[in-house]
Amino acid sequence: MVEGDLVLHLARFSGALRKRGIAVTLKDELDATRAMPLVDLLDRREVQRALEVTLKIRPRDRAVFEEEFARLWSAAPTDPPESEPPSQPNPADRRGPPRWVWDGRRVQLGASQESPDHPEGDTPGYSPEAVLRRRPFEECTAADLAAMERLLAMAVARLATRQSRRYVPVRRGGKVDLRRSFRRAVASEGDLYPLARRDRSLKDVDLVLLCDTSGSMDPYTRFLLTLLLAVRRVVRRTEVFVFNTGLTRITRMIAPGRVAATLDRLAKEVPDWSGGTRIGDSLAEFVTVHQNQVVTGKTVVVIVSDGLDTGETVRLVGAMRAISTRARAVIWLNPLLGDSRYQPTARGMQAALPFVDHFAPAHTLDALEKLLPILANS
Amino acid sequence: MKAEIKALQHAMERAGYVAEPAIATAVYLAREMKKPLLVEGEAGVGKTEIAKVMASMVGCELIRLQCYEGLDVHTALYEWNYQRQLLRLKIAELDGQDPATLEDTIFGREYLLERPLLQAITHEDGPAVLLVDEVDRADDGFEAFLLEVLSDFQVTIPELGAITAVHIPYVVLTSNATREIGDALRRRCLYLYIEHPTLEKEVRILRSKVPGVSQQLAEQIGRFMQALRKRHLRKIPGVAETIDWAQALVQLHCEHLDPTIVAETLGCFLKDEHDLRETHKEGLQALVAAAEGVESGP
Repeated sequence: MVEGDLVLHLARFSGALRKRGIAVTLKDELDATRAMPLVDLLDRREVQRALEVTLKIRPRDRAVFEEEFARLWSAAPTDPPESEPPSQPNPADRRGPPRWVWDGRRVQLGASQESPDHPEGDTPGYSPEAVLRRRPFEECTAADLAAMERLLAMAVARLATRQSRRYVPVRRGGKVDLRRSFRRAVASEGDLYPLARRDRSLKDVDLVLLCDTSGSMDPYTRFLLTLLLAVRRVVRRTEVFVFNTGLTRITRMIAPGRVAATLDRLAKEVPDWSGGTRIGDSLAEFVTVHQNQVVTGKTVVVIVSDGLDTGETVRLVGAMRAISTRARAVIWLNPLLGDSRYQPTARGMQAALPFVDHFAPAHTLDALEKLLPILANS
Repeated sequence: MKAEIKALQHAMERAGYVAEPAIATAVYLAREMKKPLLVEGEAGVGKTEIAKVMASMVGCELIRLQCYEGLDVHTALYEWNYQRQLLRLKIAELDGQDPATLEDTIFGREYLLERPLLQAITHEDGPAVLLVDEVDRADDGFEAFLLEVLSDFQVTIPELGAITAVHIPYVVLTSNATREIGDALRRRCLYLYIEHPTLEKEVRILRSKVPGVSQQLAEQIGRFMQALRKRHLRKIPGVAETIDWAQALVQLHCEHLDPTIVAETLGCFLKDEHDLRETHKEGLQALVAAAEGVESGP
């Protein structure tokens, strides 16, 4: 077994992981390469454990990692190499004897001259089975999207900052800062003008978004996705969850600015998109499983849902109470609210309302513009 | 399994830490590759314990830095001993010396208060074990600063110049994942996620940590906890709670679990009002039955 083969294999394995959405960097690959000589390469489980540690596989990625490992590492070299130089692997180099080839979909034993159709690197594209392709988001023009994103970015920036209690010097606005004015006056021999001013500084808040992706929300999918992307771009500390019949944490699946890749990943990873809704159960799950980790006193929780629930309202009330106690503010965006005939009589909505700080429509760009002043005061 | 890793696993066990192969492998790699080890996992699964065991195995000092929001350089790295400096100046003044000539003296090493990070770097006899506990509690800014220290093991103090590590310390960082750790820091480290233990491991931990617990009781407690963790709880009890509870039961001379004694000692491992209420409501019978091993379902 040639020494370089292990490196090559590792590079291919990392590439496969990246394709499945696990962020593995070159640095991690180097770590893995350095670790290989330190472990017993004949022991498959040990190799797997070493790779988990060096490629920094997080618990949520573990299932995918194990799957890929089972598929790709069966052809792992069985001879321990003397030592592995941490050379930069060159994935494009595919000459040599036939070996297992990863073609982006499955592994096959093939002549290695046949380089796979997919070039190495990130070209996710749409998968044919992506449910989302048939969603209205597809019809959205680039201009539409851009307009929405600008607005959303403004809305989100308002949402994502709050005034701190601390005063900081500002050039304009705010209040006159007498102390600093006098201090300055000393330097300019008693000239008090221009007066120094101070204002409350802006602080970042954390955002948690809970989005309904049930069938009844289908027409608003594109709004949802744009919102998610805009939020991710502006607020660094955002956690995003989607719910329908269950709850899924998708924070890591939405990379800012890459709509196609995001869609693809979401379609693959979120179970039961466009299914029914059990808001109560989903929110209760959020409260028990995630709330302690993601909601603090400076977190604004935004729920986007039409409140049409098929679950029990008792659980919804419990969950909403828990969330509103913990969070700084709870904002409920309801796309249906734009319809003048709509009354929030849906049982779920009725039950949740007492715990919501702001209840606002969100169905058109117009409605979003109206949302801005509300957010500014929250 | 490689002999060295096996040996390490046994050594950890002797030091009182029941380590599964994954943990032993991670510790071994961190030691051999001289990289910090980032340990994540729920509260009470034994993250901090890893550093303690490492220290007792290597036979060196454990230097601990507890992180919290607002932790700054003065608490983490170094601070000048102002009182001492002032006193020195005062004395010099009384002696009629010119304070200006003392500048070099009062900014010397003996006027420096070393905080954990600097202590770990300047540790003289062999590498120390540096535990940066709950790094997710510190702010992002501190994380960036930590990154600098951990990559070069060098600290620059303006008045003294650069201080380079005598021995590169073994570093263990722990996180409860209350906040996502920055990617840069994560990439600098090796990564280990510790799950709640399996029944077999938990029983072994109990046997080694709680003297006086019988095999039968340990197994019952283990099965009880396994069944309990499957429920939707706000705060899932970790091994630390299991040990507390086992100790309590031993103190009470309890030989086997029954609903009454469990109800009385529920507070040992359930520390959330909501969880307590729910567990009472759903009944302890099923859990105790599961603990007896009569019915394996939760």
